[in-house]
Amino acid sequence: MMNIQTVTVIGVTGTMGANVAGIFASFGDAKVYCLGRDIEKVKKTIPRIVKSVKADAIAKNLIPADFSMLEKCVAESDLVFESSKEDIKVKKEIAGQVAKTLQPHAVSCTGSSGLSITEIANCYPDRLKEHFFGVHMFNPPYSMSLCELTPTSFSDKEMQAELKEYLSKKLIRTVVEVKDSPAFLGNRIGFQFINEALRYAERFKDNGGIDYIDAILGSFTGRSMAPLVTADFVGLDVHKAIVDNIYENTHDYAHETFVLPDFVQKLIEQKKLGRKSGGGLYQRVKYENGLVRQTVLDINTGLYRDVIPYVFPFADKMKKYIAEGDYQKAFERLVNNHSLEAEICRYFLLDYIVYSLYATKEVGYTIEAADDVMATGFNWCPPLAMYQALSTVADVPTLIRENLPDVCKKVNIDELLAEVKPSKYDYRLYFKSGR
Amino acid sequence: MSKVYILGGAQTDFERNWKKEGKGMVALLKEAMADGLENASLTFDDVKVLNGDNRVACFVGNFIAEKYVDQGHLGAFLTEVDPAFYGVPSARYEAACASSSVAIDAAATKIRADEYDVAIIVGWELMKTVESRIGGDYLGRAAYYDKEGRGIDLPFPKLFGKLADETLKKYPELDEKRYMDALAKISVINYSNAKRNPLAQTRKWFMSYDQASTRDTETNPLVGGRLGVSDCSQVTDGAAVVVLCSERFLNERGYEGKPIIKGYGHRTAPMLFEKKMADNEGSEYTLPWTRQACLDAYKRAGLTVDDIDVFETHDCFTSSEYAAISAFGLTEPGHEYEAVENGLIAFDGDKPINPSGGLIGCGHPVGASGARMFLDLYKQVTGTAGAYQVNGVKNGMMLNIGGSATTNYVFIVGAEQ
Repeated sequence: MMNIQTVTVIGVTGTMGANVAGIFASFGDAKVYCLGRDIEKVKKTIPRIVKSVKADAIAKNLIPADFSMLEKCVAESDLVFESSKEDIKVKKEIAGQVAKTLQPHAVSCTGSSGLSITEIANCYPDRLKEHFFGVHMFNPPYSMSLCELTPTSFSDKEMQAELKEYLSKKLIRTVVEVKDSPAFLGNRIGFQFINEALRYAERFKDNGGIDYIDAILGSFTGRSMAPLVTADFVGLDVHKAIVDNIYENTHDYAHETFVLPDFVQKLIEQKKLGRKSGGGLYQRVKYENGLVRQTVLDINTGLYRDVIPYVFPFADKMKKYIAEGDYQKAFERLVNNHSLEAEICRYFLLDYIVYSLYATKEVGYTIEAADDVMATGFNWCPPLAMYQALSTVADVPTLIRENLPDVCKKVNIDELLAEVKPSKYDYRLYFKSGR
Repeated sequence: MSKVYILGGAQTDFERNWKKEGKGMVALLKEAMADGLENASLTFDDVKVLNGDNRVACFVGNFIAEKYVDQGHLGAFLTEVDPAFYGVPSARYEAACASSSVAIDAAATKIRADEYDVAIIVGWELMKTVESRIGGDYLGRAAYYDKEGRGIDLPFPKLFGKLADETLKKYPELDEKRYMDALAKISVINYSNAKRNPLAQTRKWFMSYDQASTRDTETNPLVGGRLGVSDCSQVTDGAAVVVLCSERFLNERGYEGKPIIKGYGHRTAPMLFEKKMADNEGSEYTLPWTRQACLDAYKRAGLTVDDIDVFETHDCFTSSEYAAISAFGLTEPGHEYEAVENGLIAFDGDKPINPSGGLIGCGHPVGASGARMFLDLYKQVTGTAGAYQVNGVKNGMMLNIGGSATTNYVFIVGAEQ
């Protein structure tokens, strides 16, 4: 096992930086230099880090530092983890600084959620390039165990294997090796789904739009949070950065589904970024008398209105069956209902399976990678488990041909589905009864 | 006497919060039963056919669903799980946290007496339906509620905190720091074992010796006397199914390599904690009836502690696992810390306790815990425990207690030869 005793986390005042520092200080039991631009801000972050793993005992492992101490901290570190702003310029600049004192044995990682790892690696001198990896964790890492490990063509294979072992055994991460491709695997699949949901919200804005689509793709379809609630949670600016990056740098069959809808662009311009800015797609209005109203953007008018408690017979039946553990009956409702809403739901779930399998061929190394990233990074029913779930009531290839005729024209479905395997994840726990 | 074979079973993922999933007891039981029967190579149709000849019965272990989910008559409730259970004899057994052990005992007795050929045991509890303080009050009914529970905030942590006090009192030569450190190490062992168990509640949680041994902090507050949160088992939703059968059924099906119940012990100590302690005065043990239940099981099995390769114990609190160490006979009473310090009970030790993670690591859905431990012994003896398999297990032993070590249940499960 790799012996990592000292770690420097750069950019520790950010959400991910703080949480990642917590993981190294707890499971890794490493001394962690918590480095940020403003040391006072770093000091205020320490209690948050302690809370993120619910352990006061790690406080002694957390040492505040600022950029003036970067070279010294790096010189002492066995592992350096950069978690700065998602901006290639900033990351390259930091890489240049890290390279100055990075020890010959040490590992250097970036927590980038989608920038080119190779481009950052190129900031290192040749002898250190091979020690550089992308290590992308998901938020919050204490409950989401996914860790996407991205080597570059320079990477030392032995070190890669050791790092993988350290991340999985010592830090208790679900490590998935992925290729250096925009947004890697989890976000490629997850944000394809979410952006397509945004596009459908625009397309069906006269049926209700945002909350209409969320009501069709709620937790009864194999996730804890509806997709557009998730977009608000992630932040629309972050969402945009991810889908723009994928749109500009990849060209797969689902290319157009990564185009950000205009109404989202407008919200971003108005600084309505989601939960962090007090509202985005949804807005919670709190009155002085304590009354809380859940409102949602009406895409047509640009105004917020009350969320509508939609009643879709197929969805209501599914929820009722799921509540009683009758999953097959729930899936039968989904498969056999002829309403527009059931059609949309089927389209999304089936395209999710197809796109996941497609993306993992491009970005991952195994078909199981798609399952691991979606289960442990998004807490969504992973694609192979979704396939298995629907297989209990129907022939999934036939369903795909019937419901995704356009996708079938662009993708060799038979070839893709030929590799389907039973999932190691239990689909039952992802299908919830509720909105 | 006829032998009682164990065909298999299943537990639910103890990480799950069924309320958050919008599911209740029906879903829990449907999933657990489907998985348990499948593991035991039985189908609902088999149950129907067996029931046609009155050869199968069900035994439900649950402590207090009346409070947590407003439901009683739990034996009959299995008819809601599947129509195959229509007409199948079924009843609920209760002994607080030892409820599913008493269900297993009743089931084994019926098989041993040659009255049924197949016995299906399901232990379950849904505890996340209420917030933890209300749940803690419900659990107070496992003690003498009027005297030890009513109006008391978190009664059980307090009772097992008292057990810690009494342990120190009983063994004056036992250094307090040494004792508290042993408790912290017990917690750490259970948490770290749970990391290998894919169905353990705390498999992603962090715990370290520093964290467990530093009590009275924001993240490790005291919950009962000198015990901290790190000394506590979890609030858990879950179910565990175990299927027992007769030799006749085993031969009909041609199964081989199925383990048997080799022995059991069942002793009831005084209900009130104070009386329990007064009662131990003539004994070297803090919990003499717990020790006696272990001795009874050894005697019935014709085995000694030397023959046992793995233990699952009732670590509802670290202080109860501590007491179990000498009750099993792993050390002399008063010297339990030795087994913690010298690695005897560690996962890679000679006598591992709770490779599953136990109640602290795997979780403690109270009515399910006895069946869950029993299932884990089955897995260990049949070499099917996966990543938490202990090497070369022939015999395993479990201790499941109800209340403040009031009901004491012990089973020894082992390979037939």
